[in-house]
Amino acid sequence: MKLWKKISLLTTSVLLAATGVAGGIVIYRTVKYNEMKTVENYEQQLHATAYALGKEISDSGLESYTEATRSSFYNYIVKKYGASKYILIKDGEAVCNLTAFELVNPREERWAGSEACADIRQVGEQHLLILGKKLPADSRSDYRLVLIQDITELYTDMEKQVWLFAEIYLAAAALSVLVIFLITGRLLKPLRKLQQAAADISEGKLGQRAQAGAKDEIGAMAVSFNCMADRIEEQVTELEKVSAQRGMLLGSLTHELKTPMTSIIGYSDTLLHVKLSGEQREQALHHIYDECRRLERLSGKLMSLIGLYDNDSIRLEETEVEELFSRVADLEKYHLKERGMMLETKSDGQVQRLDRDLFESLLINLIDNAVKAGKEGDTICLEASGNRISVTDQGRGIPPGDLPRVTEAFYMVDKSRSRKAGGIGLGLALCSRIASLHNASLHIESTVGEGTRVSVVFRKEA
Amino acid sequence: MKTRILVIEDDISISELICMNLEAAGYEPFPVYDGEEAEKMVSSLAGGGEEGVSYALALVDIMLPGKDGFELMESMQSAGIPVIYLTARADVISKVHGLRAGAEDYIVKPFEVLELLVRMEKVLERTGRGKEIIEIRDVRIDRKEHQVMKAGIPVALKPMEYELLVLLAANKNVAFSREQLLNQVWGSEYMGETRTVDVHIGRLRKKLDFFEVIRTIPKTGYRLED
Repeated sequence: MKLWKKISLLTTSVLLAATGVAGGIVIYRTVKYNEMKTVENYEQQLHATAYALGKEISDSGLESYTEATRSSFYNYIVKKYGASKYILIKDGEAVCNLTAFELVNPREERWAGSEACADIRQVGEQHLLILGKKLPADSRSDYRLVLIQDITELYTDMEKQVWLFAEIYLAAAALSVLVIFLITGRLLKPLRKLQQAAADISEGKLGQRAQAGAKDEIGAMAVSFNCMADRIEEQVTELEKVSAQRGMLLGSLTHELKTPMTSIIGYSDTLLHVKLSGEQREQALHHIYDECRRLERLSGKLMSLIGLYDNDSIRLEETEVEELFSRVADLEKYHLKERGMMLETKSDGQVQRLDRDLFESLLINLIDNAVKAGKEGDTICLEASGNRISVTDQGRGIPPGDLPRVTEAFYMVDKSRSRKAGGIGLGLALCSRIASLHNASLHIESTVGEGTRVSVVFRKEA
Repeated sequence: MKTRILVIEDDISISELICMNLEAAGYEPFPVYDGEEAEKMVSSLAGGGEEGVSYALALVDIMLPGKDGFELMESMQSAGIPVIYLTARADVISKVHGLRAGAEDYIVKPFEVLELLVRMEKVLERTGRGKEIIEIRDVRIDRKEHQVMKAGIPVALKPMEYELLVLLAANKNVAFSREQLLNQVWGSEYMGETRTVDVHIGRLRKKLDFFEVIRTIPKTGYRLED
């Protein structure tokens, strides 16, 4: 069952039950009250009549009368003081009965008291009020007066009222059911919209949002729901981006693998099947060897890149940058000498928290790039100042259009030249990853023909 | 005169690989390393119109510096040079694009040398640029006339022997396996044994005195060397 139906039904039934019970109690109390009032009223009549009759009987010398006279006297006084609703009892026998009823047991002991005793009885369709008391008469005989009144009208009135109440009650109930259903439905409408929005999102329409109108709980829920949807959309976009990047990386990787593979397969195939001169054979073997070395470098770099992605735990140690520089300079000494270049190191004596091995490989990568870009006689500058460590060369520079993409894996500005220099297009991707593990980022400034400056900029620790 | 082939490929090692094989198979390769240079070469040809300096075929890589392989197609067509794409792009879209644009064939790297040569030959034949006369030592094969002469004297060859000789001679210096020969000459439906190839090779050697020319390559098959 839908929530709005549940709420409506529950509210309606509780409301109806409560008003029904309250109405019932009120009616019951009214009946009782009316009954009591009526009884009281007739009791007073009975008292008055009994008093008057008692006086008459005491004053008359009844004992001396004959039976017939006494009887007509009784008739006379009863008629005189009341209408046709009294029965006079003398010593347990009804001596005068003006009512339409017959007393079954005139010796009823309840009527022996001087206080009236009331009794309501249902006889057939009729409701009878029977009141009886002793007459306050100075006489040897025991007189009792009984009042019998048909009070059916009281009950039929009551019944009418009950019916009237029931009718009003039902009408009101029907109306309130309608109103409650409408109101609940309207109150829960935002909830339904929220549900619709959630369903849409689960179907992939990530841009869908709930309306956050009212300032009630449902409104608050819509707001949190939208927050959640925003986050999800953000994360999904992020994930899609990452997976697209991964896909591109994989695509370029396949391509990067294909080129050396083509060479290796082609040359070995040629060596196996084609008649070649000794010189050509040697050339083919050289090519195979070179391409295999390329693959080896590629797999090495790739492994370290993947390693850096998988394992975020690096050992950061307080490291004197100057010491690091001298180690790097030492490692690059021969390489630089071979190309006829110089390395100049400048340090402001700072100490950084670094993973020594990783950072060393970052600097070596950057210096290698500088060497590849430069020419004989150039000076490469390795400098640390403030929160940045930078490598500056006087090489050929990077065209502005290529700048944003140089840190992408396998991106090469000039593919064939880079190949010749033994590049595989992973160096800067690796550097950028290492930098980000150090909570730093890579900044590259370059002017074509003048040189490039790559800086590792450490973010201020928060 | 040797058939001239334009090799447009930016990777030097692959370019050299192709050239090495083309040379061995008796073609004359002209390597070009980037798209713009290739276009310059081709459009100068189209202007001049000298029949002798044109190229019979171009092997074109798709991802090239300067102009890419697809962009080169137009100038290739106006110069009347058939194109075979030779690329690492194995996706169907690139293949369809390349073939629709007018390429004669599309070969995905890494390729086998033999496959490349056979496909090149088919394209050359189809475009009417196949060699009509092949000469090996004193043997002259006239493909137009279906005639083989040795030292000026016609030699009678059975149809299968002739086909086998043409295949080996057109791809000289390249080794074929027995299965490849069987497939190429007798067709893939032929249920024969590789023995058949040996028998036919034996007859060719005898009839043409090619004992030194058609060489048995251990573990591989046969190769015709000049």
